[in-house]
Amino acid sequence: MARRPPRAAAVRLLLPLALLLLAAGCGERADRGRPITLVFKHAKILGPADPVPDLLRRFEAAHPGVRVQSEALTWSSDEQHQFYVINLEGGSPPFDVMMLDVIWVPEFARAGWILDLTPFVSPAERDAHFPTAIEPAVQDGKLWALPWFMNVGLLYYRRDLLAKYGFAPPETFEELIRQVRRIRDGERDPRLDGYLWQGKQYEGGMVNVLEALWANGTRLLDDAGRPFPDPERAREALAFLRGLIESGVSPGWVTAGDEELTRRPFGDGRAIFLRGWPYALDLFELPESPVRGRVGIAPLPRLSHGRVGAASTGGAHLAVSARTRHPALAVELVRFMTSEAAQRAMTEGAALRPSRPSLYRDPALVARDPTLPALYAMMREGNPRPVTPYYLMLSTTCQPAFSAVLVGLKSPERAMRDATVQIDQLRRATGQQ
Amino acid sequence: MSEAADRRLGWMLLAPALVVLGGLTVYPALWVFWLSFQYRIPVFSIARWAGLEQYAFLAVDPRFWSAARVTALFTVASVALECALGLAIALGLRGQHRGRRVALALLLLAWALPSVVTAKMFEWLYHPAGGLVNFVLGGRTINWLGDPALALPALIVADVWRATPFVALLCYARLLTIPPELYEAAQVDGAAGVQAFARITWPLIRPILLIALLFRTLDALRAFDIMFVLTGGGPAGTTETLTVYAYRALFQTLQIGFGSAIGVVVFVFVMLVAVAYLRLIGAEDAAA
Repeated sequence: MARRPPRAAAVRLLLPLALLLLAAGCGERADRGRPITLVFKHAKILGPADPVPDLLRRFEAAHPGVRVQSEALTWSSDEQHQFYVINLEGGSPPFDVMMLDVIWVPEFARAGWILDLTPFVSPAERDAHFPTAIEPAVQDGKLWALPWFMNVGLLYYRRDLLAKYGFAPPETFEELIRQVRRIRDGERDPRLDGYLWQGKQYEGGMVNVLEALWANGTRLLDDAGRPFPDPERAREALAFLRGLIESGVSPGWVTAGDEELTRRPFGDGRAIFLRGWPYALDLFELPESPVRGRVGIAPLPRLSHGRVGAASTGGAHLAVSARTRHPALAVELVRFMTSEAAQRAMTEGAALRPSRPSLYRDPALVARDPTLPALYAMMREGNPRPVTPYYLMLSTTCQPAFSAVLVGLKSPERAMRDATVQIDQLRRATGQQ
Repeated sequence: MSEAADRRLGWMLLAPALVVLGGLTVYPALWVFWLSFQYRIPVFSIARWAGLEQYAFLAVDPRFWSAARVTALFTVASVALECALGLAIALGLRGQHRGRRVALALLLLAWALPSVVTAKMFEWLYHPAGGLVNFVLGGRTINWLGDPALALPALIVADVWRATPFVALLCYARLLTIPPELYEAAQVDGAAGVQAFARITWPLIRPILLIALLFRTLDALRAFDIMFVLTGGGPAGTTETLTVYAYRALFQTLQIGFGSAIGVVVFVFVMLVAVAYLRLIGAEDAAA
């Protein structure tokens, strides 16, 4: 168990007392003494110390007569989505505030399950977050959720190995491939892999394909939602991913690799490069980690037509259920939990990355985590996945075709044709065309 | 008591069970049928009558046929292996006295693990770079779950590992009830070994094996956790079963009507198989 700082313990002891006094003093404000309960659904926050309980107590202290009941969601993202869908569509007892994976926000907005936050959030408050975090929460010109914490795809590299051969972190994939060849030739270690990434048929695999498209200066959908606006660049990007495997730069098993399956071998010192999310950095720096102190981070490299650091963003947003009986208070809670103070506590306690640029320049936070300035540029430069209510449909429809390219069952052209047929069918079925 | 009163009492005693079954099984099943005749995607406020169109689409949907093929392959291969291995283990256990309790406990352990846990365990066993399976095979890097030719067999092995104990325990329990005198008499008559198995063990164990087969087939047709966790249906959809397809349609992409249509087809398959088995078992009983 992680030890809590003594200050937090003191707060925990004193708070109930303070609350009692407050409740006695302003009892009339809380609906004739009956406390209002807000239900807050969120995934369990992992990390050294979960800051959520303390934050909620602070919110309660500022809003006498209000109690926030925190309810944990299951860990897997698929199950969380399923839980929300069943409960929001089925009309079970409501919850007030919920944590959403960023890719669900447009879908939930379209379904009418969450409240439009536009009237409650000033432009200044909106601008205090990265545009790359706000953009995916905007649908039909309205803001539906506020970012709670943020993620971005990045390149991990072995600082010691690159230094040994006099390399700087690669800016292009051509360079990356050259470095892998040179280092593996020099090391003569058959157990040392080159570049690990996620090629399994799942959302993470989709993210890696999207990043390859962006790295080559194109994207999956154009502004009108039509697939593959630049087929030649898309073909190059897909052929590049397959080529990584064929040339041995990436081991064949990345076609079954997810985040954890690829993070482990890199963490055991068995790969030179890894495409991952920021959370892995803390694990690489654990005292028992074989690569402690030997891992660097860099923006994702580019292909011929794209730009450096065209990585996917991710993360969690907070939204208010459309069926809440206390909309004003629920919005207050969302604004409080996404405030600078709360995000600072989340960054310190749970090692999550904030969506507010100001915190990346915060001296106290940077002193604790020197990678923040580097992450700042990556968060700012990242790309949201296609912002559409149909994203999950789009992703699960395309995944088998892209997976077929990675394992060599289909040529990129054939997979793009198949994916286009599927996407067009989807657009017809949902009346987008 | 008159026969009519008897009958009435019978129905009264049955009523609670019928109501519960009706409410929990029949009603939702009918509801799924009803949904399958509609286009229903609540998120996009799509709700209109589809008639048989979704079934017509399934008939020409390559993804559906691929999933049906995968489901059939998975079911036949895993159930056949489970029954053969289960029977062999049961016969082996009968002849083994030392360590039998330990063996039974280990068998139960494999069966008692939730299948998601089994799947997670196999995910690491199959890990190409650090997994035990490749280590045992001499440090190769076989891409078990990422190779379209190996992924389905790898899933079948995981399912066989999990479900063989079920067949083994059922068969073993049946073997214990065969009176040893039968074998003694056979030995006196000069029938031992293969002949004793063919004339005594096999006829007596066949009915229970059929029941094990029924249970395992129905389970395998509905298998979900193992492929969902290990491959998510990949690579390239080569391990996507009908249930995984239905889950994706229903809960991931919220096509309630279309997902229900897949569910109905799975239901019909399962019913057909169950009826076929029950007939077989009925014929067996009549012959006995």
